[in-house]
Amino acid sequence: MHGFAYDEVHDEIVVNSPLAQAILTFRGGASGEEPPIRVIQGTQTQILGDAYSALDKVSVDGVNNEIYLPLGLGDVRGQSRDTLPAILVFDRQANGNVAPKRILKGPRTQIVGNKPPVAVDPLHNLLVVNLNNAFLIFDRTASGDVAPKAVIRGPRSQVASTGNFRVYAPTGMIVDRCSGESVCAWSINDNGDVPPRWKIPVKQITGYRISGLALDPAHKEVLFSVAGWGGDDYPPSGIMNAVLTFSWPEIYE
Amino acid sequence: MRLVRNGVVVFAGLVIVAMGIRGLPTVAKRTSVLSSPESSSGYRLVSIQKVSDFGEICLPAEPGSGDANPDNNLFASYDDRDENHLLDLLRGRSVYAATQENGQTLELNRQPVRRLWDTDPSYGSIAFDPRTGKVFLQDLNLWAIRIFDRMTNTPANANRSEPERVIQGKNTELQFNTCMYIDPVNGDIYTVENDIGDSIKVFSQDASGNTAPKRNLKVTHRAHTITIDEQKEELFVSVNYPPQVEVYRKTASGNEKPLRVVTGESTRLADVHGIALDQKAHELFVNNWGHISQYNVAGSGRFEEPSITVYPLDANGDTAPLRIIQGARTQLDWPGAMFVDPDKGEMYVTNSVGQSILVFGAKDRGDVPPRRILKGPRTGLSYPSSLAVDIKNQELWVSNLGSASATVYPLTANGDVPPLRTIRSAPANKVSLKFGKTQAVTYDTKREEILVPN
Repeated sequence: MHGFAYDEVHDEIVVNSPLAQAILTFRGGASGEEPPIRVIQGTQTQILGDAYSALDKVSVDGVNNEIYLPLGLGDVRGQSRDTLPAILVFDRQANGNVAPKRILKGPRTQIVGNKPPVAVDPLHNLLVVNLNNAFLIFDRTASGDVAPKAVIRGPRSQVASTGNFRVYAPTGMIVDRCSGESVCAWSINDNGDVPPRWKIPVKQITGYRISGLALDPAHKEVLFSVAGWGGDDYPPSGIMNAVLTFSWPEIYE
Repeated sequence: MRLVRNGVVVFAGLVIVAMGIRGLPTVAKRTSVLSSPESSSGYRLVSIQKVSDFGEICLPAEPGSGDANPDNNLFASYDDRDENHLLDLLRGRSVYAATQENGQTLELNRQPVRRLWDTDPSYGSIAFDPRTGKVFLQDLNLWAIRIFDRMTNTPANANRSEPERVIQGKNTELQFNTCMYIDPVNGDIYTVENDIGDSIKVFSQDASGNTAPKRNLKVTHRAHTITIDEQKEELFVSVNYPPQVEVYRKTASGNEKPLRVVTGESTRLADVHGIALDQKAHELFVNNWGHISQYNVAGSGRFEEPSITVYPLDANGDTAPLRIIQGARTQLDWPGAMFVDPDKGEMYVTNSVGQSILVFGAKDRGDVPPRRILKGPRTGLSYPSSLAVDIKNQELWVSNLGSASATVYPLTANGDVPPLRTIRSAPANKVSLKFGKTQAVTYDTKREEILVPN
């Protein structure tokens, strides 16, 4: 699992089941072998992974009651099929074999990478997709083959492809991994090859390559999960699993 | 500590760069370290940076000012000893960002305020060498193999037992390895990586330290468990998904392809984990967690009950199982490593989330209860991740992911039986984080809890 979500509006945890093509929703306080309260799975869902990494991330917009699932290509590594990836949008309360309420897909969307992570800004009513070292910014309710409203991309932007990222809606800050194994913050109103506002060179400071990212607005902190990658990413601590918390009040103000 | 204006500060420690101070006065009021006549309202802290031990610092310009060092810029340096105190004071305070119009990014060189990590091993796999009586423990957290003597028994008041040797370091290419196999003839150590390495490494029996493997075989992503048919010299590898069992030459290396692959809808394979061989009955045993889909068919996913499927040892392709153990009475719950004792006709199954070791008859089928169940508070089992059987001494070894330990029992143990001996690599009361690969994280704002999947 490379990305999952907590819905603070409804106190629910949303995860995907990578190998069973399903989206599972649990109570926020779920513990042990507690079953999910809802399962989206079946032929109507159009959920598709692929052989290599399957489905690995999911996002939730608790304000607008929607779940976002980036699709795979149904292929194996090195044997691409003639398909385009897509972002499926489900009703948050969907349960069972239900169709997505809309699908963002097509050449005009520029969504051509595999299973791009998604984040929603319900205040600015925008949807952000990260792929191919770019942020594609759409209207939140974009559907079908539509072009993004804005694209943050280019060498000055330092945007990197990532497993998951977050948007802090009150300030419109996009927080994500960026070049140099750092973490950067951009404005959701940015467009073009614009540099990030702030940058924390996490690997330079800690020796770790970032994997996951979460926001803690109450304490004005950002949490990074980090895992060993071998080779040049052998952390000096020798500890290959960690969660690092940085104080980063600037992105919340 | 020094605080200067428009100057160059050369100190080892932490430097505060302030474009005037708005946040800083509050800090200054709270500490005698920071005090300056320039600390008036209307200023704003812009950066906190480590400075090098030697040389000069190039001070940043105020964005848009055209002035390399405007008068209202403040710079301060601190001794390393003050760093944590300073970060505590500054937590929650804003640092000014350069504007997009000026195309500048403000780099924040600050240390993490917290690190959540486990400094002890997480044992995901165990193997036993009957020739030498050594126990091998695979560590997912510190990327190592630790080798102990079978008679090691950590005293109750000891923090840990030290291994006789450790295979660990960048050259070993050990990563998130999930299974080991010890060659019963020459002692070669086989280990398979499940996620980012996608390979089987083979080390010499006496490997120690930061040693490179002597052989490397690239295998399919999500390879999980290995075992070897020593009679035919064939290496069996389970792959979680797409579910399959690959069979290679025992000495295969590099990019060599498998001799055959068991896969397909008829196999009933579904998120494959443990495998075992019965070379007397010529059968292959596979356990499945039950998560299944056809990767190239949208909406084909489904959940099935966990199961153990049995095939002819020479099965190839889309082969239906000879028999299946599956159902509520089996108590299967995230089954892992297995072992088949051909002489006794019994099969041992690690049952991680069930917190148990299950023993079935090797010819069992259907919804059958285990013959024996090792489970309970006296067993010391804690998320048992793997097992190994010592036939000579009639002992059952188990690695515990939840307590950085290995426990050993009589082979016929049944019920809530305490271990004969325990090898601990952490204090007795240690509760392991059980981190396997901390790829993702999210935050529960209601409970103020960090959620980490493994």
